[in-house]
Amino acid sequence: MAEEFNTEGMLDMYLFENEQLLEQLQEMVLEQKDSDCFDEDSINEIFRAMHTIKGSSGIMMFDNITAISHKLEDVFFYLRESHPENVPHLELVEHVLTVEDFISGEMDKIRNGDTPDGEPAEIIAELDKFLEKIKSGSLAAAEGEEAPPVPQNVHVEPKHFYIAPVASSASRFYKIYITFFPDTEMANVHAYKTVYALKEIAEDLLYSPEDIISDPDSAQAIIKDGFRILLQSQSNEEEIRKLIGVGYDIEAVDIYECKAEEFLQGFDFGEHELKIDLESSVEDIEAKVKAAIDLSNSEAGEAEKPKEKPKMMPGDFVIKSKEPGKKKQLAKDKPKAEKASFISVNVSKMDQLMDLIGELVISESVVLQNPDLKVPGLNLTNFNKAAAQMAKISTDLQNVIMSMRMVPLTNIFQKMNRIVFDVSRKLGKDIDFEMIGEHTEVDKNIIEHISDPLMHLVRNAVDHGIETKEERKESGKPDKGKVTLSARTEAGKVWISVSDNGKGLDRDKILAKARKQELLTDGKPESAYSDKEVFQFITLPGFSTNEQVTEYSGRGVGMDVVVQNIQNIGGVLDIESENGFGTTMSLKIPLTLAIIDGIVMETGNSSFVMETGVIKEFFSVKESMMIHEPNGEEYVMIRGDCFPVIRLGKWYGLHDYRTSVEDGMMLILEVENRTICLFVDKLIGKQEIVVKPIPSYIKKVKGLSGCTQLGDGSIALILDPGGLVE
Amino acid sequence: MEETNEIRKHPQDSRGGSDERDAQKGKYMTFKSGNEYFGLKIQYVNEIIGFQTITAIPETEDYIKGLINLRGKIIPVIDVRLRFRQEPFEYNDRTCIIVINVKSTVVGLIVEKIAEVVEIKEENILPPPSIGRADKVQNKYVYGIGKVGDSVKLLLDPDKLLNDADMSVIEQANEMVAEEE
Repeated sequence: MAEEFNTEGMLDMYLFENEQLLEQLQEMVLEQKDSDCFDEDSINEIFRAMHTIKGSSGIMMFDNITAISHKLEDVFFYLRESHPENVPHLELVEHVLTVEDFISGEMDKIRNGDTPDGEPAEIIAELDKFLEKIKSGSLAAAEGEEAPPVPQNVHVEPKHFYIAPVASSASRFYKIYITFFPDTEMANVHAYKTVYALKEIAEDLLYSPEDIISDPDSAQAIIKDGFRILLQSQSNEEEIRKLIGVGYDIEAVDIYECKAEEFLQGFDFGEHELKIDLESSVEDIEAKVKAAIDLSNSEAGEAEKPKEKPKMMPGDFVIKSKEPGKKKQLAKDKPKAEKASFISVNVSKMDQLMDLIGELVISESVVLQNPDLKVPGLNLTNFNKAAAQMAKISTDLQNVIMSMRMVPLTNIFQKMNRIVFDVSRKLGKDIDFEMIGEHTEVDKNIIEHISDPLMHLVRNAVDHGIETKEERKESGKPDKGKVTLSARTEAGKVWISVSDNGKGLDRDKILAKARKQELLTDGKPESAYSDKEVFQFITLPGFSTNEQVTEYSGRGVGMDVVVQNIQNIGGVLDIESENGFGTTMSLKIPLTLAIIDGIVMETGNSSFVMETGVIKEFFSVKESMMIHEPNGEEYVMIRGDCFPVIRLGKWYGLHDYRTSVEDGMMLILEVENRTICLFVDKLIGKQEIVVKPIPSYIKKVKGLSGCTQLGDGSIALILDPGGLVE
Repeated sequence: MEETNEIRKHPQDSRGGSDERDAQKGKYMTFKSGNEYFGLKIQYVNEIIGFQTITAIPETEDYIKGLINLRGKIIPVIDVRLRFRQEPFEYNDRTCIIVINVKSTVVGLIVEKIAEVVEIKEENILPPPSIGRADKVQNKYVYGIGKVGDSVKLLLDPDKLLNDADMSVIEQANEMVAEEE
């Protein structure tokens, strides 16, 4: 059936929307995982999310997703309607996350063009069990309320229950019956159109048959029984009629105003078949309805009706108003309003725009510095004015595109939250997870690269860092471990730290292991290694001090991958640790990869760029300050400190570079806590440069991280200070 | 999925439809390098540009002359003569750069002189002689010999021209870049 539709655009939309819903869901669940129960809003929110996913998956014919989201929706329907007590909150959280994982997994399959064939039966069975459990646990509490819903697969004629929020006094209640001509095609779609139109004025709305969108069979039902709507609105009958309109397909529209009680009662077409003769008078019908209501009321007073399965309402429209009388907003409006201010754009388009703006900046300088303008005697006053204006706009443009690429770290932090939750539960550790500065913004490209490394670090912190409860007790620490994930910007870099208050790194253990793996330099006493140097050992491939391989870590892969990934984006990993008191791992990564502030310089007729951040100072040195070692290495003595010197021309074997240090310029660079001097011919200037990768055809050259175009259209190579230090 | 889309959208990669391809069939761009004329299937050729300033890249093979700025896109250029282990030549006004696109890799070829576009029928293409030439290295890039009237053109396999021995290294590098992207 799915093939009958052109589902391509729909599928994209489906994936995109559901992904966002799931993300929100996870965020919400994790936010409240430590509280005793979900608050009202989140229950509604989760319920709504599941409802939406169920609906859209139904349309897309992904039955397993539909089934599982339906089940979770059931659970939350129960939570919402019956407010059971003694709900095992953590278990509930896990259930929600399991379902979320399942749906995400299926969506990944869909995205890759596979069939979503995951089997939800097991999870559904678990959910059923859970639902039973909370029900039996709160039967007492449920008394006096609606009959507790019992999950059953026996499908009874849907009975629509609905507890309306406190109505505002001006509201009127209507029952609307729409009859379609028997030969109407897709009556369900027409019905939906009507519902959609009514939403605008509706304070509350429910309709039957309920699943007109997902269930194509509902078309028959609508034609046979008519389409029934309960509406609470401030509008009068005429306005409603106008909204519904009388199309060629609608045979008749009957609107009856009714009382709030009747409205609250909802539809009751279940056991008490309510025959409404369209020709009969309004009074007649009202009488009938009343009778039916009485009947059902009396029945509701009886013992529980296990056969009944209260179907949920179009919950999208249910919202508890905080104060009676206050104008209620339809819940549906909220996400809509938020969505309106965002559009999703293909990243490649953004990149293209970015490239174009880069081009624009370059061609601008080509125009403004055009040699033709340098003809003496030209009056350029107006030109210069216009040029200044243009320069301003292009700078603004650059800033805008840069800010467009910046995204907050929130998502990635939430992901970590989830990992901490999972891992700590599995390992039986009690861990407090704190996030600081998750709104720090980073270039999108960078976000993609730090997710995996961060995951490793967080896992490590939970698995290796935090001790078991017993160990913590022994060392006199509070039972609860703490892992903090923090982000901040500093000096054009983003610092992301993962710190734990666990056992910390054991210097001696690491040294012993390093000795065993013959990583120590011969002749260097162990005490000569600084803590930092020792800790860097754990970033080497195959180095893990954890004796036991656990599910999460200990195989010795991980830290080296982390370091590798971080270095790829020009970042560094910093490890600080105090034995017995915890470890802090900090990633220091550039804010953006796309545009950097750089110093342009020249050596041997080639242009090079060095990012401004690493340059400590420029220095003109005298020959007398140089120290030459017999093996050719050079050092320079500046203010009593001695630094190694790299001559860029010599390093790359260029031609015609200046040999005398007094002719050129010395750059003092501080990289990874080391200071080196770079000798170049001359400085050209400071410039914002658009970083472009060196074409992949050319294999990686040590010390180069990319290339860029200069104002005159020529190409400069971007130096990678890390590569120079190695 | 996104990546492939991106590649396809790139102007350089958008080779014409099937009609255009038919028209291009059997046509070769020929150029002179040393004393020989070489032919390159025209599908691979993006454009021909005049010589322009090349930014040298240190620590690469000598035939990789460096990078040029092709209207904002930075592409590597290689010297065909050096690639064939022939004597280097002085670049002058007639020196051209043929921009080719092989499997989405855009590279400029520095050649002494562009000759012409010729049509060589399938039956006029002979396999390269396996013996008889001293310089066997060159044979690797030549997959056939095309006869045009009295003259012959050595038909180049651009893939081998770009990659050959360094294949594994470059492939690795490409993979790395692809991962990074």
